[in-house]
Amino acid sequence: MTARFRLRQALVIARLEMKRVFLARRSLWIYALAMLPAVLFLGHAIQLRYELREARQGGVVAPAVIETVETGMSEQQVLDVAGKPGQDRERTIRRSSRREEQGKEIFETREVRTRRMIYFDGSRRAYLWFEDGRLQSKDVRTLLNFAEDQEVYAGVFQYFYLRLAIFFGCLGIFLNLFRGEMMDKTLHFWLLAPARREVLLAGKFLAGWTAASVVFSAGALVAFAAMLWPHIGAGAEAYWQGAGAGHAARYALAAVMGCAGYGSLFLAASLWIRNPIVPAAVLLLWEASSGFLPELLQKFSVLYYLQSMCPVPAPLEQDVPALLRLILAPAAPLSPTLALLGLCAFSALVLWGAAAGVRRIEINYSTD
Amino acid sequence: MSAQEIVFENVSKFYGDVLGVNRIELRIPPGLTSIVGPNGAGKSTLMNLMCGLIHPDRGEIRVLGISPRDPERLMRMTGYATQFDAAPRWATGFDFVVSSLLLFGYSSSLAERLAWAALEQAGLTDAARRKVNSYSKGMRQRVRLAQALAHDPQVLVLDEPLNGLDPVVRAETIALFRQLAASGRHVILSSHVLQEVDVISDRVVLMANGMIVAEGDIRGVREEIHEHPSQFLIRCRQPARLAALLFERAPVAEARVIEEDGALLVLTRDRNVFTRTLTALAASGLDIESVVPADENVHALYEYLVGGSA
Repeated sequence: MTARFRLRQALVIARLEMKRVFLARRSLWIYALAMLPAVLFLGHAIQLRYELREARQGGVVAPAVIETVETGMSEQQVLDVAGKPGQDRERTIRRSSRREEQGKEIFETREVRTRRMIYFDGSRRAYLWFEDGRLQSKDVRTLLNFAEDQEVYAGVFQYFYLRLAIFFGCLGIFLNLFRGEMMDKTLHFWLLAPARREVLLAGKFLAGWTAASVVFSAGALVAFAAMLWPHIGAGAEAYWQGAGAGHAARYALAAVMGCAGYGSLFLAASLWIRNPIVPAAVLLLWEASSGFLPELLQKFSVLYYLQSMCPVPAPLEQDVPALLRLILAPAAPLSPTLALLGLCAFSALVLWGAAAGVRRIEINYSTD
Repeated sequence: MSAQEIVFENVSKFYGDVLGVNRIELRIPPGLTSIVGPNGAGKSTLMNLMCGLIHPDRGEIRVLGISPRDPERLMRMTGYATQFDAAPRWATGFDFVVSSLLLFGYSSSLAERLAWAALEQAGLTDAARRKVNSYSKGMRQRVRLAQALAHDPQVLVLDEPLNGLDPVVRAETIALFRQLAASGRHVILSSHVLQEVDVISDRVVLMANGMIVAEGDIRGVREEIHEHPSQFLIRCRQPARLAALLFERAPVAEARVIEEDGALLVLTRDRNVFTRTLTALAASGLDIESVVPADENVHALYEYLVGGSA
């Protein structure tokens, strides 16, 4: 048999398997997992666009105007500088105060006239609070912060998507390729084909990898598009024409390679270990600790390579608890090309180990 | 090892502490061979070993010179209809057969043509477009047979292939097996319904507790077990007189007159002396209508060999 023939066999196996992987009822939760960030970003985008529309309806002031306004200014002074606010609400409140006089506590209540004005400069909202005609406080909130949104996306992608969604998604998809068929008592169908076991492994891996890659890269890209959406007309176009398309491609690539790395590990685990849930838990811990492992051991972690493929470093706040900081801290980064090659080599090594497992696999439905 | 035979050399297989088969020495030539034994005897284990679904812990197996660890070559010339009832969820009967053919490297059109031919052979063309999961037990049996047959294998291994078939289909299927065996192929089937295989088999392999207790053609197997008495049913006009004469002249262990049938059931420990004596008595004028060996079916052999009912 030629290598070409074996490749064709592997493709036939992959094609037949893909139907099963994509349409399996047990895959539904994986779709949900993959689309969760997209749903969150989409929800955020819809809310933001609603707020922007509302803010724009009240008029837009120059950003410098907001800087000019200072506490202590009178209402009229503010109106003279900034013009008519987007939202303006006045009301009178009753305020109680307490004072001591000759050792006695005296409570007093007086009426205070308050006014809240909101100005919008195209990306920020300024909330101005007046009491008795004087500006008491100025609260400026950024509605559209592209840099922050990119950081949030990077955080969600690296802390949730790579570490959890793709990890558990691959667990579901790749464990089913052999172990699931063993449970369904259908694995013999493949083992009776005139194909080398390694070809069967390659075909099944290809099916799982394709399915997982389509689902998770699509999830990553939809979430990325949802992140960009509110910024269309406010810098997103320029970003997309600059680094944006490259960033999107690198996120998608990281998702695809994450599926290859985790997929190969779970496929191998399902061939060597009867109950792969325990090794999956160990692997989750191992991946979580990749940031503080010695440099040599880091190379045996999928996350080590994936983090280096991501275009934007994930944010890590200073007030994060020490243990969580230890888990979330990224390993020393590699160049994206080296990371890609490294992960390819890592996956190939794991699949080589899986090939030894598939050669010894036996049909013994009664004990599985 | 012969490239024309299926050879087991000192093959043992254990499932943990449980014995699958033990020290199997077996050579299977072309023709129809039945592996017979009760549940748990090791029949399916033997077949799974033959087709590489499991591997022996000890010993060596060659199927026409090919190791079962080489599925790429083995399954090209072997078709195995397993006893496993489950089919892939996605598969219709037609898809099920076509999919397996595509793995042989056939083009789609050729695979489809071969699949229809195999489904027709198995009498399943009408239901070919239905999901296998919706098939009756007999239909699932037939679709597995169609899949095993579709690539025209030299070796056909069939685990309990007659289970669940209605009498008409069963007769057609048996005829198909005979036809395949007559064309020089190896047709190996297993059964625990003993009556159905002794009629159709060229040879039998009797198994119990993971071991082969006898093998060969049915008569040959019977010859192997000299220590067990042979049983004959003799129809004659004077069964009581014949019984008395046989007790005098032949090594007869037991004789029972069946009055209503005008017959005598005789148990003898030496069939050669017995048949010579019976021939002499017939020649002397005793009216003997027919003599039929009463135990040359697998069931009887099996009972002798394993000492229990099968």
